Amino acid sequence: MPPAEQYGYAVARLRAMSVNLVEDSVLQRILESEDLEGALKVLGETVYSAWLVDLKGSGDFDRVIEAELVSVYDEVQRFVPDVRLVQLFRLPYDFHNVKVLLKSLVLLREGGERRFDLLTPLGNIPSDDLIMAMESEDFRLLPFGLHTLVPAALTLWEQTRDILEVEKILDTGLFAAMKKLAVESGIGGALAWVRGKIDGENIRNLLRIKRMDMDVSAAAGFLHEGGFLSKERLLSLLSEPVESWPRAIAFADVGRAFSDVQDVTDLNSLLVEMEKIIDDYVASILEKAKYNAFAPENILAFLWKKELEAKNIRIALVSVGNNTDRTLAKGLFRHAG
Amino acid sequence: MELLGIMLAILGAAMAAGWAGAGSAIGVGIAGESGAGVMTEDPGKFGLVLLLQALPGTQGIYGLLIAFFAILKVGLLGGGGEISVSVWQGLGIFFACLPIAIGGYFSAIAQGKTSAACIQMIAKRPEETGKAVILPAMVETYAVLSLLMSIILLNGIKL
Repeated sequence: MPPAEQYGYAVARLRAMSVNLVEDSVLQRILESEDLEGALKVLGETVYSAWLVDLKGSGDFDRVIEAELVSVYDEVQRFVPDVRLVQLFRLPYDFHNVKVLLKSLVLLREGGERRFDLLTPLGNIPSDDLIMAMESEDFRLLPFGLHTLVPAALTLWEQTRDILEVEKILDTGLFAAMKKLAVESGIGGALAWVRGKIDGENIRNLLRIKRMDMDVSAAAGFLHEGGFLSKERLLSLLSEPVESWPRAIAFADVGRAFSDVQDVTDLNSLLVEMEKIIDDYVASILEKAKYNAFAPENILAFLWKKELEAKNIRIALVSVGNNTDRTLAKGLFRHAG
Repeated sequence: MELLGIMLAILGAAMAAGWAGAGSAIGVGIAGESGAGVMTEDPGKFGLVLLLQALPGTQGIYGLLIAFFAILKVGLLGGGGEISVSVWQGLGIFFACLPIAIGGYFSAIAQGKTSAACIQMIAKRPEETGKAVILPAMVETYAVLSLLMSIILLNGIKL
């Protein structure tokens, strides 16, 4: 790990970059817009304006958000002392691309069409390299454990024909790769952040499992190792009503995040609310770093804020585009400031 | 033995200038890194960044000042006649130089870190510039105290 002072330049630059993060007042103005054109006009007053010129249609705003994220990741990757900090954020997009290509491969074998349009440029591995590896079935050079994971996923598909099983093995691989990167970086905050993310994903999965009324043995496969809460502890929650979950895991930080939940009786609305609570909980793990001018965790905190900003803009634009309840959308905004 | 006295005084002067200067170089370097980071995004903050980056540089000047005092005292500068310096007097001058050598070195690094943090502060809150200058200036107090003690001690040695 580089000496702490090496992060002085990177953290200072990110502090200056954070001035350009989209403020709550701008999000509010986007929400108050009459239509998508008006909302995009407001977005044009922010750093996103650079990408709005390439917009093909007002419904294509996802590309704008994606382009801004790619630009920030590329920029930060150029000056950050340890690129693993950025790779951590790009890793889920690599696994998303792998899932897209695997499904394309399966579709192709069954006479369907490839869906390269669903690929994202946000990953660490260039999409072209990934496509080449998948098409030629030569996975040897794929990083982040994908060289073994992709063939395993393909074999699993051949054996079970169950895409959910394939998703499970890839998700497990994703969190294992994220944890490995965080451990290799030697940055305590990075590992805590990954563990917090695993806890969040496990809680989210647990709520979905509870809604589906799945039995414990089947549920175990949907939970991932490596979080602050053990799989066994989480599985034991399934036998209890959701109302008692906050009390049962109150000892853990993610359990305390539950205290923000207003109503646990409706699982559907709880799931939506938990998405926001978990994102804010993951942000809170890195919160203390802001008091240390040289902490590498500040890099993670900035990138996470950028991710949350992208989510907030997406929520606002979708709400305006579909003309849904703006108060509901506002309630879903993550704390990115 | 007279030569040893002068040599001890020179060693003290060298340490005052060397250590305080080294501390300043590290401190200014740390603040400079942060300054470069902020100016990459906002070159308009050059004036404020320069002011904050320069603050840890004062210890090097204090060290140099004491070094001059020390070598002036033993007659190596100023064109005066040769001054007789005993070993004990030389040792006294050497010890008199230590406060600014040690205090200057550590305070400059600490001030550099504080300046770097304050440069980050003005990147986000330019309206707080006044406070950003006060915080590193607090560290300066202890460099000034070291300088004062070195001056008092040097003046206390009668040749």
